[in-house]
Amino acid sequence: MISGDQAMKYFYVGIGVALILTVLAVLFVPGVDDQVELIFQRYLGRAAS
Amino acid sequence: MKIFARIVIILVCLAAIPVTAVATAAFKQRFADGPNRVFSGGPLEAGELYSGPEPDWSFVNAIPTIEMQLLNPTTSRRIWTVEYDNRLFVWSGYMNSFVGRLWKSWPGQAEDDGRAILRIDGVRYERELQRIHSDPDLAGITAAISDKYPSRTSPATVESGDIWLFEAAPR
Repeated sequence: MISGDQAMKYFYVGIGVALILTVLAVLFVPGVDDQVELIFQRYLGRAAS
Repeated sequence: MKIFARIVIILVCLAAIPVTAVATAAFKQRFADGPNRVFSGGPLEAGELYSGPEPDWSFVNAIPTIEMQLLNPTTSRRIWTVEYDNRLFVWSGYMNSFVGRLWKSWPGQAEDDGRAILRIDGVRYERELQRIHSDPDLAGITAAISDKYPSRTSPATVESGDIWLFEAAPR
Protein backbone atom coordinates (compact mmCIF):
# COMPACT_ATOMS: atom_id res chain seq x y z
CA MET A 1 0.00 0.00 0.00
CA ILE A 2 1.49 3.36 -1.04
CA SER A 3 1.03 6.51 0.97
CA GLY A 4 -0.79 9.60 -0.25
CA ASP A 5 2.47 11.47 -0.69
CA GLN A 6 3.90 8.61 -2.69
CA ALA A 7 0.80 8.51 -4.87
CA MET A 8 1.08 12.23 -5.59
CA LYS A 9 4.71 11.77 -6.52
CA TYR A 10 3.75 9.11 -9.07
CA PHE A 11 0.97 11.38 -10.29
CA TYR A 12 3.38 14.29 -10.90
CA VAL A 13 5.71 11.98 -12.82
CA GLY A 14 2.77 10.76 -14.89
CA ILE A 15 1.65 14.30 -15.64
CA GLY A 16 5.19 15.26 -16.62
CA VAL A 17 5.41 12.34 -19.02
CA ALA A 18 1.95 13.18 -20.41
CA LEU A 19 2.97 16.81 -21.01
CA ILE A 20 6.15 15.79 -22.82
CA LEU A 21 4.25 13.29 -24.96
CA THR A 22 1.62 15.93 -25.71
CA VAL A 23 4.22 18.42 -26.91
CA LEU A 24 6.01 15.81 -29.03
CA ALA A 25 2.76 14.54 -30.53
CA VAL A 26 1.56 18.04 -31.49
CA LEU A 27 4.94 18.97 -32.93
CA PHE A 28 5.78 15.82 -34.83
CA VAL A 29 2.76 13.56 -35.42
CA PRO A 30 1.02 14.66 -38.65
CA GLY A 31 -2.53 15.89 -38.15
CA VAL A 32 -2.44 16.18 -34.36
CA ASP A 33 -1.88 19.95 -34.45
CA ASP A 34 -4.82 20.36 -36.82
CA GLN A 35 -7.09 18.28 -34.58
CA VAL A 36 -6.07 20.33 -31.53
CA GLU A 37 -6.82 23.56 -33.42
CA LEU A 38 -10.15 22.19 -34.66
CA ILE A 39 -11.25 21.28 -31.12
CA PHE A 40 -10.07 24.66 -29.82
CA GLN A 41 -12.01 26.39 -32.60
CA ARG A 42 -15.18 24.51 -31.61
CA TYR A 43 -14.80 25.54 -27.99
CA LEU A 44 -14.18 29.13 -29.05
CA GLY A 45 -17.31 29.02 -31.18
CA ARG A 46 -19.38 27.71 -28.27
CA ALA A 47 -17.95 30.31 -25.91
CA ALA A 48 -18.69 33.10 -28.37
CA SER A 49 -22.28 32.01 -29.09
CA MET B 1 -7.97 20.41 3.86
CA LYS B 2 -5.05 18.45 2.49
CA ILE B 3 -7.39 16.30 0.40
CA PHE B 4 -9.07 19.42 -1.00
CA ALA B 5 -5.68 20.91 -1.92
CA ARG B 6 -4.68 17.68 -3.63
CA ILE B 7 -7.90 17.58 -5.63
CA VAL B 8 -7.24 21.13 -6.83
CA ILE B 9 -3.65 20.23 -7.77
CA ILE B 10 -4.82 17.15 -9.66
CA LEU B 11 -7.43 19.16 -11.58
CA VAL B 12 -4.89 21.87 -12.46
CA CYS B 13 -2.38 19.26 -13.61
CA LEU B 14 -4.98 17.51 -15.77
CA ALA B 15 -6.06 20.84 -17.27
CA ALA B 16 -2.43 21.54 -18.13
CA ILE B 17 -2.49 18.77 -20.74
CA PRO B 18 -5.04 20.36 -23.15
CA VAL B 19 -3.62 23.82 -22.42
CA THR B 20 -0.17 22.55 -23.39
CA ALA B 21 -1.57 20.96 -26.55
CA VAL B 22 -3.23 24.23 -27.61
CA ALA B 23 -0.18 26.34 -26.77
CA THR B 24 2.11 23.97 -28.67
CA ALA B 25 -0.17 23.95 -31.72
CA ALA B 26 -0.31 27.77 -31.68
CA PHE B 27 3.49 27.94 -31.37
CA LYS B 28 3.99 25.46 -34.21
CA GLN B 29 1.64 27.42 -36.49
CA ARG B 30 3.83 30.52 -36.17
CA PHE B 31 6.47 28.72 -38.24
CA ALA B 32 4.05 27.56 -40.93
CA ASP B 33 3.36 29.17 -44.31
CA GLY B 34 0.22 31.02 -43.28
CA PRO B 35 -2.51 30.42 -40.72
CA ASN B 36 -4.57 27.25 -40.43
CA ARG B 37 -7.85 27.84 -38.60
CA VAL B 38 -7.66 30.24 -35.65
CA PHE B 39 -3.97 30.40 -34.80
CA SER B 40 -1.76 33.02 -36.43
CA GLY B 41 0.70 31.68 -38.95
CA GLY B 42 4.04 32.71 -40.34
CA PRO B 43 4.73 34.74 -43.49
CA LEU B 44 2.77 33.87 -46.64
CA GLU B 45 5.43 32.41 -48.91
CA ALA B 46 3.76 30.04 -51.35
CA GLY B 47 1.74 31.23 -54.30
CA GLU B 48 2.27 33.47 -57.29
CA LEU B 49 2.72 37.17 -56.49
CA TYR B 50 0.10 39.02 -58.52
CA SER B 51 1.17 41.82 -60.79
CA GLY B 52 -0.99 43.59 -63.31
CA PRO B 53 -4.11 45.73 -63.42
CA GLU B 54 -6.46 45.97 -60.46
CA PRO B 55 -8.42 42.68 -60.35
CA ASP B 56 -12.20 42.41 -60.37
CA TRP B 57 -12.54 41.75 -56.64
CA SER B 58 -16.16 40.57 -56.82
CA PHE B 59 -14.91 36.96 -56.72
CA VAL B 60 -14.02 37.34 -53.04
CA ASN B 61 -17.71 37.58 -52.14
CA ALA B 62 -17.93 33.83 -52.79
CA ILE B 63 -14.91 33.09 -50.56
CA PRO B 64 -15.51 32.72 -46.78
CA THR B 65 -12.04 33.73 -45.60
CA ILE B 66 -8.70 34.90 -46.94
CA GLU B 67 -5.18 34.84 -45.51
CA MET B 68 -3.67 38.16 -44.55
CA GLN B 69 -0.10 38.95 -43.50
CA LEU B 70 1.27 42.27 -42.39
CA LEU B 71 4.86 43.13 -43.25
CA ASN B 72 5.51 44.37 -39.74
CA PRO B 73 5.20 42.02 -37.89
CA THR B 74 5.14 39.19 -40.42
CA THR B 75 2.49 37.06 -38.77
CA SER B 76 -0.56 36.03 -40.77
CA ARG B 77 -4.15 35.29 -39.91
CA ARG B 78 -7.36 34.04 -41.54
CA ILE B 79 -9.83 36.85 -41.92
CA TRP B 80 -13.22 37.77 -43.34
CA THR B 81 -13.36 39.98 -46.41
CA VAL B 82 -15.89 41.67 -48.64
CA GLU B 83 -15.86 43.55 -51.91
CA TYR B 84 -17.92 46.65 -52.55
CA ASP B 85 -17.75 48.74 -55.71
CA ASN B 86 -14.58 46.82 -56.60
CA ARG B 87 -12.92 47.93 -53.38
CA LEU B 88 -11.64 45.25 -51.01
CA PHE B 89 -12.25 45.45 -47.26
CA VAL B 90 -11.16 43.64 -44.11
CA TRP B 91 -12.15 44.50 -40.55
CA SER B 92 -11.87 43.64 -36.90
CA GLY B 93 -14.74 43.70 -34.43
CA TYR B 94 -15.09 44.09 -30.67
CA MET B 95 -12.41 46.81 -30.71
CA ASN B 96 -14.11 48.85 -27.98
CA SER B 97 -14.04 45.90 -25.60
CA PHE B 98 -11.11 45.05 -23.35
CA VAL B 99 -11.04 41.46 -24.58
CA GLY B 100 -11.13 42.58 -28.21
CA ARG B 101 -8.20 44.93 -27.79
CA LEU B 102 -6.26 42.28 -25.89
CA TRP B 103 -7.07 39.53 -28.37
CA LYS B 104 -6.62 41.43 -31.62
CA SER B 105 -3.31 43.14 -32.10
CA TRP B 106 -3.21 43.27 -35.90
CA PRO B 107 -5.55 46.28 -36.34
CA GLY B 108 -3.23 48.52 -34.31
CA GLN B 109 -0.22 47.13 -36.15
CA ALA B 110 -1.94 47.73 -39.49
CA GLU B 111 -2.72 51.29 -38.52
CA ASP B 112 1.00 51.84 -37.82
CA ASP B 113 2.19 50.09 -40.99
CA GLY B 114 -0.52 49.10 -43.43
CA ARG B 115 1.63 47.14 -45.87
CA ALA B 116 0.06 43.72 -46.21
CA ILE B 117 0.00 40.61 -48.36
CA LEU B 118 -3.30 38.88 -49.01
CA ARG B 119 -3.38 35.30 -50.26
CA ILE B 120 -6.60 34.46 -52.03
CA ASP B 121 -7.08 31.16 -53.86
CA GLY B 122 -3.32 30.62 -53.73
CA VAL B 123 -2.42 33.98 -55.30
CA ARG B 124 -0.67 36.66 -53.24
CA TYR B 125 -1.61 40.31 -53.59
CA GLU B 126 0.43 43.20 -52.20
CA ARG B 127 -1.93 45.73 -50.63
CA GLU B 128 -1.95 48.72 -48.31
CA LEU B 129 -4.43 48.62 -45.42
CA GLN B 130 -6.01 52.02 -44.90
CA ARG B 131 -8.33 52.45 -41.94
CA ILE B 132 -11.70 53.94 -42.76
CA HIS B 133 -13.39 56.08 -40.12
CA SER B 134 -16.04 57.44 -42.46
CA ASP B 135 -16.73 57.03 -46.14
CA PRO B 136 -19.51 58.04 -48.54
CA ASP B 137 -20.01 54.32 -49.30
CA LEU B 138 -19.96 53.22 -45.64
CA ALA B 139 -23.64 52.23 -45.58
CA GLY B 140 -23.14 50.07 -48.67
CA ILE B 141 -19.95 48.52 -47.37
CA THR B 142 -21.46 47.58 -44.00
CA ALA B 143 -24.58 46.24 -45.72
CA ALA B 144 -22.35 44.04 -47.90
CA ILE B 145 -20.62 42.76 -44.75
CA SER B 146 -23.92 41.99 -43.03
CA ASP B 147 -25.25 40.28 -46.16
CA LYS B 148 -22.22 38.01 -46.37
CA TYR B 149 -21.61 37.22 -42.69
CA PRO B 150 -23.66 36.85 -39.47
CA SER B 151 -22.49 40.28 -38.40
CA ARG B 152 -24.28 43.35 -37.09
CA THR B 153 -21.97 45.77 -38.81
CA SER B 154 -23.36 49.25 -39.39
CA PRO B 155 -21.95 52.70 -40.16
CA ALA B 156 -22.43 53.54 -36.47
CA THR B 157 -20.27 50.64 -35.26
CA VAL B 158 -17.50 51.69 -37.63
CA GLU B 159 -17.70 55.37 -36.72
CA SER B 160 -17.75 54.56 -32.99
CA GLY B 161 -14.57 52.49 -33.36
CA ASP B 162 -16.17 49.23 -32.29
CA ILE B 163 -15.31 47.87 -35.72
CA TRP B 164 -12.03 48.85 -37.33
CA LEU B 165 -12.64 48.79 -41.06
CA PHE B 166 -9.71 48.77 -43.48
CA GLU B 167 -9.65 49.13 -47.23
CA ALA B 168 -7.05 46.85 -48.79
CA ALA B 169 -5.97 49.42 -51.35
CA PRO B 170 -3.37 48.97 -54.08
CA ARG B 171 0.16 49.49 -52.84
